[in-house]
Amino acid sequence: MRRFLDRLYLAAGWLAAGCILFIAVLVSAQVMLNLATRIFALPLPSAIPSYADFSGFLLAAASFLAAPWTLRSGGHIRVSLVISRLPDGIRHYVELATLAIAGCLVGYACFYIIVLVGESWQFNDLSPGIIPVPLWIPQSIMGVGMGLLLVSLIDAFVTTLWRGTSFIQHTEEM
Amino acid sequence: MGEPLIGLLLLATLFGLLAAGVWVTFALVGVAAIALFCFTNAPVGLVLATTFWGHSHSWSLAALPLFILMGEILLRSRLSRDMFNGLAPWLGGIPGRLLHINVLGCAIFAAVSGSSAATAATIGRLSIPELKSRGYPESLVIGTLAGSATLGLLIPPSIILIVYGVATEQSIARLFIAGVLPGMMLVGMFGAYVMLRAVLNPHLIPRFEMRMSLKQKLWESRGLIPVGLLILGVIGSIYTGIASPTDAAALGVLLSLLLAALSGVFAWQDFFDALLSAARTSCMIAFILLGAAFLSVAMGFTGLPRNLAAWIGAMGLSPYVLLAVLTLFFIVLGLFLDGISVVVLTTSIIMPMVLSVGIDPIWFGIYLVLVVEMSQITPPVGFNLFVIQGLTGIDILRVAKAALPFFFLLVAAVVLITAFPAIVTYLPNAMSG
Repeated sequence: MRRFLDRLYLAAGWLAAGCILFIAVLVSAQVMLNLATRIFALPLPSAIPSYADFSGFLLAAASFLAAPWTLRSGGHIRVSLVISRLPDGIRHYVELATLAIAGCLVGYACFYIIVLVGESWQFNDLSPGIIPVPLWIPQSIMGVGMGLLLVSLIDAFVTTLWRGTSFIQHTEEM
Repeated sequence: MGEPLIGLLLLATLFGLLAAGVWVTFALVGVAAIALFCFTNAPVGLVLATTFWGHSHSWSLAALPLFILMGEILLRSRLSRDMFNGLAPWLGGIPGRLLHINVLGCAIFAAVSGSSAATAATIGRLSIPELKSRGYPESLVIGTLAGSATLGLLIPPSIILIVYGVATEQSIARLFIAGVLPGMMLVGMFGAYVMLRAVLNPHLIPRFEMRMSLKQKLWESRGLIPVGLLILGVIGSIYTGIASPTDAAALGVLLSLLLAALSGVFAWQDFFDALLSAARTSCMIAFILLGAAFLSVAMGFTGLPRNLAAWIGAMGLSPYVLLAVLTLFFIVLGLFLDGISVVVLTTSIIMPMVLSVGIDPIWFGIYLVLVVEMSQITPPVGFNLFVIQGLTGIDILRVAKAALPFFFLLVAAVVLITAFPAIVTYLPNAMSG
């Protein structure tokens, strides 16, 4: 189970990395196209249709899909100044409380993201660009990322409860 | 309940959550949710979902992962070695000699990377052992590195200016260009400080053993050409308006890949590491931005920042007094919080107040970055200190002590841009478009 979950987080992280690579390729292609048409006046279309929209959607996918692995590897910023000085017993409970708070907030967000996706689906909301994209598609990816983040927070809570130590790596050496 | 009381209560909750070690982004979301639940009739969950969606897919924010990726790629190339070899032969005649490697190296790396921690790590990994083995005093080596690495935040591309620009809906291109002159001014101030120390205590600086002809010097500097072209390409294309920051960032990724590949030490594994690392950093920052965006929306519903602004406005404070108070406040905040958190808290709560006394938002962005730079080198929470402690094993308090003069130089820089705002505003006003 431990190995499966860790692989799941890392896999989502690699998907996010793939999205960033895709943004880089897409935007570079557009820049090259600009050069080719404006400076060398080549007979090519002057823009990749809706490339700004797609970059934005890929960015959202990257941010949300990377979230569980970022949490696991201690990438999200927190202030550890106070808790690192608490006695072990108290720190254990504070750690559990922070995980519970984060878990409740993410769970709450997940529920309403599902509501949002449902509304976009029902009203068939489209992105305004040249290529209209049904908004529920990128919004669902946000939902998947937040869902996995919720799983990782529950995972962290349960592990901390069982083992008595946090499984999240330390943040400070950034 | 009276409004000042509500404000103080929310602020206390926020600091309570942060101190308990709740991740910054969830602390922001939590306080915003409490504010909405208790003091407004807004549909909290739907506002949360639409804010998260609306602020996560913007085109200008796409510059963020790209600039991070560019820095990550260059971090894994031979750039720092090339810079050392290219800069060192020229510094023999200048008081302070090789110490200037830290200042100039950081300035150059800052121009291809948006993070001060990455700048400290990249330059320090090479310069600390090289300088120490030549007998330069430890406190000066560490101090110049910690201080100069803060340039990573100011000299474009700058991650923190992207965050500020997205959060306040200011043009990122103009913010980047506005950072150029103050950045050069700081390089000059840091360099002058090193020279002053060297002139006052000449025995501190070891002898210079690199004797080369002009031709040899020029040949050693060839390694600086690619990075020079990269900087010119990225900043020039933004300044002239040919490319938006996001376009320029993609171009930067492409060019830095080329540069790294030509250096011969960059393997596929490094590229994948850079990608995954960029995904992680970009996710962390995006989440803080989302938390801040939700807090901003929530604060908008409660009307607190607006009333705070009206209250400050009614006091008839001069902008100078307000800035002096804010600077103190930010320095204290910066002792405990990282730079990005300081910026997003400012933009969600303090921005209306700043605008109401007539402060230019572009100028304020640069001012904020300078103040945040101070927070990078003040204990107990200062990321440059952590990085240098990681590199050398020296306790952060000693690093902080060595960096203290640079803290005061940053204060002086804030005074200078307040007295002469044109240092910030001249270039963006001269921009086309």
